[in-house]
Amino acid sequence: MAANAQGVAEAPFVWHPATAEEAWQLKATLGAEGVFTAGGTLLRTQWESGLAAMPNHLIDIGAIQELHGPRTDSEIGTVCFGAMTTLSEIRTSPLVNASFPLLTEAARSIAAPSIRNLATIGGNVLSIVGDSIPALLVYDPVLHWHDGSSGLEESLSEWLSTAAVHPVWKERLLLSVALTPPTLNSNTKRFVAYHKVGRRDAFTPSVVTAAFSIQLDSDNRLGDVRLALGGGQTIPHRLETVEQFLTGKPADKKTITEVYSMILEHYEPKGDAFVPVSYRKKAAANLIASELWKAAK
Amino acid sequence: MKDSAKSVTPLAASSIPCTINGHEASLNVPPAKRLLHVLRDDLAMTGAKRSCEIGRCGACMVMVDGVPVNSCLTMAYQCSGKSITTIEGVSAQAGGIDPIQRAFLEEGGFQCGYCTPGMIISVKALLDHNPDPTSLEIEEALSGNICRCTGYGGIKRAVQKAIEWRKEAYESESIRD
Ligand SMILES: Cc1cc2nc3c(=O)[nH]c(=O)nc-3n(C[C@H](O)[C@H](O)[C@H](O)COP(=O)(O)OP(=O)(O)OC[C@H]3O[C@@H](n4cnc5c(N)ncnc54)[C@H](O)[C@@H]3O)c2cc1C
Ligand code: FES
Ligand code: FES
Repeated sequence: MAANAQGVAEAPFVWHPATAEEAWQLKATLGAEGVFTAGGTLLRTQWESGLAAMPNHLIDIGAIQELHGPRTDSEIGTVCFGAMTTLSEIRTSPLVNASFPLLTEAARSIAAPSIRNLATIGGNVLSIVGDSIPALLVYDPVLHWHDGSSGLEESLSEWLSTAAVHPVWKERLLLSVALTPPTLNSNTKRFVAYHKVGRRDAFTPSVVTAAFSIQLDSDNRLGDVRLALGGGQTIPHRLETVEQFLTGKPADKKTITEVYSMILEHYEPKGDAFVPVSYRKKAAANLIASELWKAAK
Repeated sequence: MKDSAKSVTPLAASSIPCTINGHEASLNVPPAKRLLHVLRDDLAMTGAKRSCEIGRCGACMVMVDGVPVNSCLTMAYQCSGKSITTIEGVSAQAGGIDPIQRAFLEEGGFQCGYCTPGMIISVKALLDHNPDPTSLEIEEALSGNICRCTGYGGIKRAVQKAIEWRKEAYESESIRD
């Protein structure tokens, strides 16, 4: 492990641990003075906007081999994305596109290629509001952490439910995000869609980010419904009440009208000075209703 | 720092090995310094432009190992062992000006020219990787480069012209071989 000898504000020490254990030890030792640094793109935004001060120590996790690239478990089709996998690798990977098309779309919608060449999936997830999260949530993601003991696994949904209020995870190193592709039942068709709606195409916080996956059987009935919403400062989540309601229902006008009202009732986005809650709810309800409509046709 | 950190000895000085426009270099700079500042202030290579400094405009674009990155976001240590190509390197490689640069000149791909080095780097990275991109692929590749003058029409024409010229050059080389 190595570091430079600067260590003053604006010229922090940069440590280059070679293993997850070394990185974790450094963080445990440095406490709040040390920050894990992946692509550094979100951190730079936070430093520049004054949201966070540049720390005295950066713990560069780029040299830790096990954090790089996707690995497939061929038996069950689970793919483990090392936390340092860049959004560009995800955007351009045929493997990702074949098994997790919503993730490919999500990566395309985040920033621009030059930023995606640096930015990582780990950094995006740990931002808590990253635009990859709604897409990931559709694939039952599991986070693998190094916490100094035997390692920790938890579902992304579980982590998201407390991440903003209990920052204990900031002491851990995220190793990977594991995804499982949905299986397709016989005589069914799958429909998927990812939308990021913003005031412009790129470089503005999204108003709504929606990821959607359903199966339609030969009787036009809905099954395996997975629906995740986020956008702006809203912590992304699955809409389980709506998923349960849709399961087994026919994809027709009545169902779509009911689901529109349910989303208005159950989705609770965070508003801001530019886009109020009511607008975000309507945008989300319209997106989902229109996707169901397309699938039903 | 707590006691347990004392077992980890920092190196005395940092020297970051990399290649810049084909020349080996060793950067003796603070490792978290932005590549943009290293290029412009330490190496007097002012082709990459300074503008937003938060990754939003693309004026500072360079290639690292053949892919475009914003040099205002890239920290010096992230270049260790990597090959950096700046706009100065693009012209030098072509022994004058690159066909992409000529296409920008001929098709009115710029007005004030501030965004142009970054645009050309993004176009070069795209065409080196994908010589015959669709218009959607061109739009995606240039989505991180903002131009406040041209309205993008001239830039799109320039990219199409560069694609044509590169194809012609490739075909005539193949015939000669
Ligand atoms: C111009 C611009 C546009 C952007 N547009 C978008 C957008 O459209 N959508 C979007 O979602 N985001 C966007 N971002 C934000 C950012 O680029 C992404 O969220 C990116 O994926 C962050 O990844 P990173 O590797 O750069 O993270 P970093 O900045 O390195 O880290 C982010 C946070 O995660 C922590 N961290 C990173 N990896 C680990 C790990 N393995 N273990 C523990 N902690 C870790 C860091 O300590 C830090 O707190 C944009 C950023 C910029 C500069
Ligand atoms: S100066 Fe780097 S993107 Fe604007
Ligand atoms: S030519 Fe002036 S910003 Fe593009």
